[in-house]
Amino acid sequence: MTLAPQRAVPGSGADRAEPPVALYVHVPFCVARCPYCDFVVLPGAAARGPRNRVADYVDALLAELRLRAPASPVGLRSVYVGGGTPSLLPVADVMRLLDAVDAAFGIADGAEVTLEVNPGRDERGEPRAWREAGVTRLSFGAQSLDASELRALGRRHSPEDVLSAVTDARRAGITSISVDLLYDVPGQSAASWARTLDGALALDADHLSLYALTLDDAVGADHLPLRPGARRWRERARAGQDEDRAADQYALAEDRLAAAGYRHYEISNWARPGHASRHNLAYWWRLPHEAVGPGAHAFDGATRRWNDAAFEPWLAALAAGTLPPGGSEWIDDEAANAERLILGLRLAEGIPVPAAAAPGLAWGIDTGLLEAAGDRLRLTRRGRLLSNEVFARLL
Amino acid sequence: MTDHDGNRTPQSRLRNFSIIAHIDHGKSTLADRLLEFTHTIDARQMTSQVLDSMDLEREKGITIKARAVRLEYTANDGLAYGLNLIDTPGHVDFSYEVSRSLQACEGAILVVDAAQGIEAQTLANVHLAMREGLTIVPVINKIDLPSAQPEVVMEELENVLAIPREEVILASAKEGRGIDEILEAIVTRVPPPKGDPTAPLQGLIFDSHYDAYKGVVTYVRLAQGTLHKHDRIRLMASGVESDLLELGVFRPQLAPVAQLTAGEVGYVATGLKSVRDAQVGDTITSATRPASAPLPGYQEAKSLVFAGIYPLSGEDYPLLRDALEKLHLNDASFTYEPESSIALGFGFRCGFLGLLHMEIVQERLEREFSLDLIASAPSVEYEVELTHGRGIVRIDNPALLPPIADIEEIHEPWVALSVITPSSYIGPLMELTTNRRGAFLNMEYLDPQRVLMHFEIPLAELIVDYFDQLKSRSQGYASMDYEEAGYRPANLVKLDVMVAGEPVDALSLIVHRDNAQAIGRTLTEKLKELIPRQMFEVPIQAAIGSNVIARETVRAMRKNVLAKCYGGDITRKRKLLEKQREGKQRMKRIGSVEIPQEAFLAVLRMGDA
Repeated sequence: MTLAPQRAVPGSGADRAEPPVALYVHVPFCVARCPYCDFVVLPGAAARGPRNRVADYVDALLAELRLRAPASPVGLRSVYVGGGTPSLLPVADVMRLLDAVDAAFGIADGAEVTLEVNPGRDERGEPRAWREAGVTRLSFGAQSLDASELRALGRRHSPEDVLSAVTDARRAGITSISVDLLYDVPGQSAASWARTLDGALALDADHLSLYALTLDDAVGADHLPLRPGARRWRERARAGQDEDRAADQYALAEDRLAAAGYRHYEISNWARPGHASRHNLAYWWRLPHEAVGPGAHAFDGATRRWNDAAFEPWLAALAAGTLPPGGSEWIDDEAANAERLILGLRLAEGIPVPAAAAPGLAWGIDTGLLEAAGDRLRLTRRGRLLSNEVFARLL
Repeated sequence: MTDHDGNRTPQSRLRNFSIIAHIDHGKSTLADRLLEFTHTIDARQMTSQVLDSMDLEREKGITIKARAVRLEYTANDGLAYGLNLIDTPGHVDFSYEVSRSLQACEGAILVVDAAQGIEAQTLANVHLAMREGLTIVPVINKIDLPSAQPEVVMEELENVLAIPREEVILASAKEGRGIDEILEAIVTRVPPPKGDPTAPLQGLIFDSHYDAYKGVVTYVRLAQGTLHKHDRIRLMASGVESDLLELGVFRPQLAPVAQLTAGEVGYVATGLKSVRDAQVGDTITSATRPASAPLPGYQEAKSLVFAGIYPLSGEDYPLLRDALEKLHLNDASFTYEPESSIALGFGFRCGFLGLLHMEIVQERLEREFSLDLIASAPSVEYEVELTHGRGIVRIDNPALLPPIADIEEIHEPWVALSVITPSSYIGPLMELTTNRRGAFLNMEYLDPQRVLMHFEIPLAELIVDYFDQLKSRSQGYASMDYEEAGYRPANLVKLDVMVAGEPVDALSLIVHRDNAQAIGRTLTEKLKELIPRQMFEVPIQAAIGSNVIARETVRAMRKNVLAKCYGGDITRKRKLLEKQREGKQRMKRIGSVEIPQEAFLAVLRMGDA
């Protein structure tokens, strides 16, 4: 479904729209595209070099921020600059961007401002300058601390790069650091995963995101088409994945990270006290969030809206002073309820025990995937890894 | 019958013919060309495989249903002729349809591929045509191919069918070569139909379809008499009478005419609502001046392969019953009767001409009637001799085999199998067939490179995937045909399958005792692959009586998780979950286990166990 965004359809819920508490900014540039990646990415010459599109992009982004600005400042509690590889942006552009966000939306005091970083030596950026520009949190796309796994994943950095990048960030005074890792990677062994986990703990990160490598070939206008090379890579990689190994790896991570003082606050996320991602919690709590950049998704409390993924049409529309092409979906009460349960159950805190339990919840309790804890209902240890079994029954 | 100018085509200028060809030898292309040459269809309307109007036929590149079309052709003698082409299916399962089509004709074009030569089933159909006394017009097609060997094929035709080479027409349907010559040969070689137009009406129904507005539309060949558009007709076998709604010919769409006379082929819209009142093989006559006796009809199609067909969800049973009834109007060659299964609930035991026929019926039911179905493992029909002289029972459902103690002896159907193959594949095909309990009889050379091999083999060994194996082991070159060869005693046992401790009767098989162990092992392995992991461990066992002979375990599911779920993912992930839920709904719940539809046909996917 593609509707012109921002047109209020009577009865569509637009009247229920709420001001955003969070803002997502999508930066599509990458030095190279990783074959498993489903994000909207513009690799190669567009990202750097004589023909780069960075300046055009930043101009368009500022235009989109102005077009999507609320009537009066709202005081954002979080800003997330994700990608792509936002750390490729020149420092001056990061400053322009955050100034523009503050001018258009207002950034609340003490807000969480995250920037995603690739650890490669030529793409890790300048943490000190970012901190001065207002960045409070860095999220490193480490993925693994095993050299051969990194090569197999098509990553450009080494395990040592991750260590030095995180150390630099600490020295620059960044007080909240997150590291992303992948499990269920082809060729990954129990031992190499244990080494990666130990390495990550040694980095002294404040937050860890552990993702099962997922190769489900996203489609739709908000995604870019998959290239044949990546398709072949994925076919081979899928053959190297293993459900049992993945479950063992997850269990190991739960034990190690708990022992090291991390709280497992969401299916794939662990944090030290005070370091849970406020921005990502906004998604799981279904708080309204705005979004800018190609392929970015927003929610105003009633409608989910997105920009199409294609870069040039996005740029052209904004250069002409109009909103970029995209689509939207009004979330009816039934879908909103399902979302509330599914997103809420992703969190360790779970959901309030409903007055009349949906059959899917009762099934989850019967099979031991869900448990009641006081007046809350949450996933059990086994239920976290089998959460789709519960969620599919809640739709 | 009147032509475009309103003039009747006299009987002497009518020709009824069909085309006999192996699959891929160019029958549909030739039919397309004949339609173009005679301007029956103009180039604008021309799609390829005009006569194969069913989606399934175009997809599979085969003809399933016979069709008829009327061509108007002005011959070299300057006279206008009416040619009725009655199309025939080409697959071994449908020889029953072929024989019906042939009986409506005086001639047949035999199409043989110039590079491939004559194939087993073509041979069988030509023999059938010759027995019916049809004039054969031999055509060697695809002479444009670089690998064409028309000389070798002519030699084959001469050796195998005693067709003199001077009668053979060389053609390329693709390039339009030889089409004139074929049309002339039909006019000059095929005799016109006989039959007195003034005698009492006798028309043989050779096919039918059901139309929501016109009721049962029968395809008829008039043996004698004349049918006018307002006549009242009687169906001699059912005794039902009706005022006919419409009369016409096939162009190839239905084109109404004022009358049909002896020797002609056309359709009669009866207005009848039940196909049972106007069955294939029945004779149409006039209600006011009936013929004294019906024409000899057809033998009923004999089902060789049986399987249970069940709705995925029990509440669709009435829909399935209606769908079977409607489809049966269009394809009378399958049989169905209600049965029930402990595992699958209420469904129907269906009989088919062969495995391809089974596949096609199931696909048509699913597509044309939007049903989700489960088919049980296919079986042949066994004769079970009971102990103490209590007689013989016929069993087409393995689940119904009496207890071992009650069985004196089981007899199974055998077939005479003929295979034509390039001689380089003799070894692999001999091995394939003897591994399946087949016995080699003899072999003759058709030409220096190709042989015709004769075997006998239990039908049960043939229906599983023999045809696929034959094709794969001969790189697609071998072809086969078979006919029944009676029942023989065999040391057979019933193999039962238990999933999570529950017997699943729809998975039971009757197998030879010597092979039971191997089949049980392969079947449980295959089921382990096909049954997805569940919330708990699921044992799969194969047993003979109470004796478990093979066991596999589907381990409990451990991971089904969306790793990432952030702002951009929520809509898409919800759709992903919806898809997962629909996937579950398409599975059959047996006890506490969800089994996908394809698992019930696991026995067909075991390779060469």
